[in-house]
Amino acid sequence: MTLNLRVMAPNRIVWNSEVQEIILSTNSGQIGVLPNHAPLLTALDIGILKIRINGQWSTMALMGGFAMIDNNQMTILVNEAEKAVEINPQEARDTFQIAQKKLAQAEGRKQVIEANLALKRAKARLEAIDATPPSPVPN
Amino acid sequence: MASVACNSSLSVAAATVQCGAGKKRSSGGRKAVACPAFEGLSSRSLSLRITESVDLNSELVSKRPESRSVTVCSLKDLRDRIATVKNTQKITDAMKLVAAAKVRRAQEAVVNGRPFSENLVKVLFNVNSQLQTEDIDIPLTQIRTVKKIALVVITGDRGLCGGFNNYVLKKAEERMKQLRKIGVDFTIVSIGKKGNSYFKRRPHIPVDRYVDSGTAPTTKEAQAIADELFSLFVSEDVDKVELLYTRFVSLIKSDPVIHTLLPLSPQGEVCDINGNCVDAADDEMFRLTTKEGKFSVERETVRTETPEFTGVLTFEQEPVQILDALLPLYLNSQILRALQESIASELAARMNAMNNASDNARDLNKSLSISYNRQRQAKITGEILEIVAGSTVTI
Repeated sequence: MTLNLRVMAPNRIVWNSEVQEIILSTNSGQIGVLPNHAPLLTALDIGILKIRINGQWSTMALMGGFAMIDNNQMTILVNEAEKAVEINPQEARDTFQIAQKKLAQAEGRKQVIEANLALKRAKARLEAIDATPPSPVPN
Repeated sequence: MASVACNSSLSVAAATVQCGAGKKRSSGGRKAVACPAFEGLSSRSLSLRITESVDLNSELVSKRPESRSVTVCSLKDLRDRIATVKNTQKITDAMKLVAAAKVRRAQEAVVNGRPFSENLVKVLFNVNSQLQTEDIDIPLTQIRTVKKIALVVITGDRGLCGGFNNYVLKKAEERMKQLRKIGVDFTIVSIGKKGNSYFKRRPHIPVDRYVDSGTAPTTKEAQAIADELFSLFVSEDVDKVELLYTRFVSLIKSDPVIHTLLPLSPQGEVCDINGNCVDAADDEMFRLTTKEGKFSVERETVRTETPEFTGVLTFEQEPVQILDALLPLYLNSQILRALQESIASELAARMNAMNNASDNARDLNKSLSISYNRQRQAKITGEILEIVAGSTVTI
């Protein structure tokens, strides 16, 4: 049996293909998913998603959502997903620094919540770029 | 004879000046009548004909130069007017077509969002069935006594779309009046340039934030708005968030409506202010089609299938936590949807407005052409009469 992965954002389908392995950042830590996984429903934190196809790892930054595995079909619904290859490293670093500054200057509960969200997103983006793909695994 | 010539040249000059002014509606006097202004064309051309016949019959010789040059002037003026109207018509026609093409794109955006919302509803349903028995406490569903309301007003970025923006703003004013009456505080989150400029001109209305909406709403924009509302609500700055947007009913009808966005009901129901709730699984889609060469809209209600999962689903976290992750997604998709509907309504309103403008231009063009041809014929008749009169004199 093969594992099929679908990543969906509100306006488009980000990813739809067969994969060999998936690593997710869930609310309770990272989990790895291989084919024939038991049915599972989990909430996803703002973080990275790693996908292995033909021994190659690709990374994506996910902006919060949830994942569902049922019958070798994995469905991930997210607010926004950004593929690592599509992220501009310089821009991501700048955004991260701006977000850090904003959090330091934030006053009041509302601003702190907002700044925290922004920082988390910026961090996920950075992680996605920095996640150096592990050396290809022979099949 | 000399005095007459002087007189006539003067009056011609006066008439020319008035022709140049064109738009000014001058009252009384033959010369004023000779130049068509922008309004009341038919009556004007009628009186013009009368003066001309008076000219020809009574003071044929003395008035001849005046009547001729006046006619030439208004003929040219009419020709210019016809050209202007034609150009305007071209523009309005083009704008109508552009709007129609964009409505199609807006519709595609809605269709592209379908798989996401379908899956969301499925999971929401299943998690809900697991949670029926449990007492849950999630920030986004917390119902508090309402002291302050955030009113999200979605308008368009551009004008030339009939009463679209005005209807939304009127509805907003109405709601604000209601809230003032019952003594509930409020703040506005304004989305769209038209609303922004409206609220900026009225500093007495408290506005939390101005957001520009683009022509194609993206998840990022929806996310920014959702973040704002989320933090407003969770920090207990406001106790309720209402969304005022234009619901797309059909190409000729759209309704400004108010929906309660927050607190969310854990069942994913959408409620309007009167308390009528729609289940999340009931979804309406609009589709632009052509019927007998004209655009029309079909609106269909889609009931999302909510099948039970195969096998026993393991919940990695507590169901409450999963719902906590689900509801922001739901909030986001609700906002995106409202933005999309609002844009579709705006485009439809623009299509209508431009259609009416084109029709008006066509009518105007027609009546202008008639009066132009009438004058042209009168001029020719005058010339023939001159020739005939001239030949009788020589004989």
